[in-house]
Amino acid sequence: MSSHVETFSYDDAVVRKFLWATVVWGLVGFTVGLIIALQLANPWFNFNLEWLSFGRLRPLHTNAVIFAFAGNAIFTGIYYSTQRLLKTRMFSDGLSNFHFWGWQAIIVAAALTLPLGFTQAKEYAELEWPIDIAIAVVWVAFAVNFFGTLIKRRERHIYVAIWFYIASIITVAVLHIFNNLSVPAGLFKSYSIYAGVQDAFMQWWYGHNAVAFFLTTPFLGLMYYFMPKAAERPVFSYKLSILHFWSLVFLYIWAGPHHLHYTALPDWASTLGMVFSVMLWMPSWGGMVNGLLTLRGAWNKVTEEPVLKFFVVAITAYGMSTFEGPMLSVKSVNGLAHYTDWIIAHVHTGALGWNGFMTFGMIYWLAPRLFQAPLFSKKLAELHFWIASFGILLYVAAIYSAGITQGLMWRAFDETGRLAYPDFVETVMKLMPMYWVRVVGGTLYIIGTLIFVYNIFKTWKARPATYEVPVNSAPKLAKEVPAAHPAPVGEGALARFQSVRWHRRWEGMPMFFTVMVVVAVVVASLAEIIPTFLIRSNVPTIASVKPYTPLELAGRDLYIREGCFNCHSQMVRPLRHETERWGEYSKPGEFVYDHPFLWGSRRIGPDLARIGGKYPDLWHVRHFAEPRAIVQNSIMPSYGHLGRRALDFDGIQARVDAMVMLGVPYGEAVTNAPAMARAQAQQIGAGIEAEGGPAGIADREVVAIIAYLQRLGKDIKSAPVLSTGGVTP
Amino acid sequence: MKLVDVMSASGLSMYAIVALVLFVAAFCAVLFMILAPGAAARHAQASRLPLEDDAPLAAAHRSSHEQ
Repeated sequence: MSSHVETFSYDDAVVRKFLWATVVWGLVGFTVGLIIALQLANPWFNFNLEWLSFGRLRPLHTNAVIFAFAGNAIFTGIYYSTQRLLKTRMFSDGLSNFHFWGWQAIIVAAALTLPLGFTQAKEYAELEWPIDIAIAVVWVAFAVNFFGTLIKRRERHIYVAIWFYIASIITVAVLHIFNNLSVPAGLFKSYSIYAGVQDAFMQWWYGHNAVAFFLTTPFLGLMYYFMPKAAERPVFSYKLSILHFWSLVFLYIWAGPHHLHYTALPDWASTLGMVFSVMLWMPSWGGMVNGLLTLRGAWNKVTEEPVLKFFVVAITAYGMSTFEGPMLSVKSVNGLAHYTDWIIAHVHTGALGWNGFMTFGMIYWLAPRLFQAPLFSKKLAELHFWIASFGILLYVAAIYSAGITQGLMWRAFDETGRLAYPDFVETVMKLMPMYWVRVVGGTLYIIGTLIFVYNIFKTWKARPATYEVPVNSAPKLAKEVPAAHPAPVGEGALARFQSVRWHRRWEGMPMFFTVMVVVAVVVASLAEIIPTFLIRSNVPTIASVKPYTPLELAGRDLYIREGCFNCHSQMVRPLRHETERWGEYSKPGEFVYDHPFLWGSRRIGPDLARIGGKYPDLWHVRHFAEPRAIVQNSIMPSYGHLGRRALDFDGIQARVDAMVMLGVPYGEAVTNAPAMARAQAQQIGAGIEAEGGPAGIADREVVAIIAYLQRLGKDIKSAPVLSTGGVTP
Repeated sequence: MKLVDVMSASGLSMYAIVALVLFVAAFCAVLFMILAPGAAARHAQASRLPLEDDAPLAAAHRSSHEQ
């Protein structure tokens, strides 16, 4: 057999680019996080600027830290480790650079469009359709480059870190495509092809697995590569790592519905999500134990080496959040935690601890190797570690307290059987001290990051004038699997099977291995999706529920533009304290025309599912202009611009047309939407004037959003109309 | 008749049991894969890959020796 040795070099230039992108976008994402933390502690920090309001900046923060900071960190680690584990340069330098610049362009597009209010209203999938297409193109380029590298590799065995990368690349592609299927209604406006319950199901199938396959599995791949490198010893148990991998691939994809407990989602789906989430605890902890025990016999190094300190805390945070995740998926726990800050604390244990510290540790390890200069200061890295660790503790301790406090206050009844805190804003005011502690914690984390940036910058400054590019050599990969490795024990088919050569052969066929991962992911997804979409009893229709009028539809789009769903839920759960506070619980059939669903995931403000008719129109006009003039301690930003800006009546027709394409029965509005919207707006404007409000606001945006809010929750109180003739204003 | 009607009327009570059997089988296959005789040596070798990747020449010797 040939052992012809080939020479090659690694492309570290692209790794350096991704490293810098990680550093820069991390700082941006964390800073936006600090701004929105300040906005919750004091609404003055919204600066009365619509493009800096909480509803628009919150998705910018989540997208920046997930896709810009964590995304670039993943690519840094993948491009570095894949080349070395496979003993080959990346398949194409051109694709590597296209991936890098394409991804940065997408981040810039997100940073521009989200504050401007262009959003699909789906958490972590807010970006509008042209950017979604760009993401798909760049991701495919990345996948081609990655799988091309696998094919031309010089190492037969595909190390477990690569398995995690394969699963991440494949699954993220599947999730992104199916959750973002939409019908455009303009250059930066689209409607999800799914509605209501089904849209919620798809979104949280995506949302949960975005956490799983963007923030967990790729970082686990990084852990399985960089932890042994930093500890200078192999992973504790390779068997456990294989079990960890396949268990996560099989289990994670089912768990999404636990984000929708007690909502209008069918109970079987919710229970299924809970059971698989609880099962996830074991493999997750197997992975945590595997990571930590890699340090067996080398714990003394942790005291001296900041890289290992970061890794130990990161893996511990992974363990804590993957224990808490299954716990939160248990329905009774979720009943308390859902819509509260508990979920925010849970997420930040994972994001700040697991993703953040894995990234910092990895970059501290990589910087001297990539910049070919010693780390500028180990002491500064130690200082970064302690300041950031203290910042995380302050952040999560405060926000866990806030979440549990608010959850308990919402469900408290007094001795007479009435809600103990019927005024929602009371439960918000109670959180203010904790919100300020969060600001302090977040500030410490950012100070640590600034120290990190300075340290990496100074390391880079000490780089040589020209980077040395080592030339490596390795034999070309033989086509055949080595014959006697391991030797079969005995003879016959059983012996050959037990020799696991078949698995070794699989490992020599990365595309086949990839197909196996796809099968695991797709089968699990379809098992949940098909019944939810195709069994009628899952979403019983309600005869009195009708499509929104053209004006209400325009108002709903303004509600989406302003990001109101970031603070207000539209889902009354069938729990006594909820129905006492908000009214009748929400039914699946109420949302059949909701493209997209707007159930929300957090109640920073009150639920709005039954807001229709609760207050007069004029109350809303004044509340939007200055919330604190109506509710003294409200932390809602002011939306004075809604009363100043003219509504684009003519643009409503395109929105109605898109809805019609989705099967919404719009009747007369198909040809007459702007006129119908104007007629309804005139009616509302006249009513507001008659109540003593401002004159001449019938053509303002505020009228449309009021029309929408006044519609919410009303249909199920109406008598059913048998006609299917569409909407009337 | 729409697909929705077919699916709604088809009675999928066996669906969960089929899924359970498939997943238990897959789990057993993974367990076998990692516990099978002969796997240990391969795993020990694989687990060292990250530690060897900075010295491809050494890896080359190892690979050629295997073959």
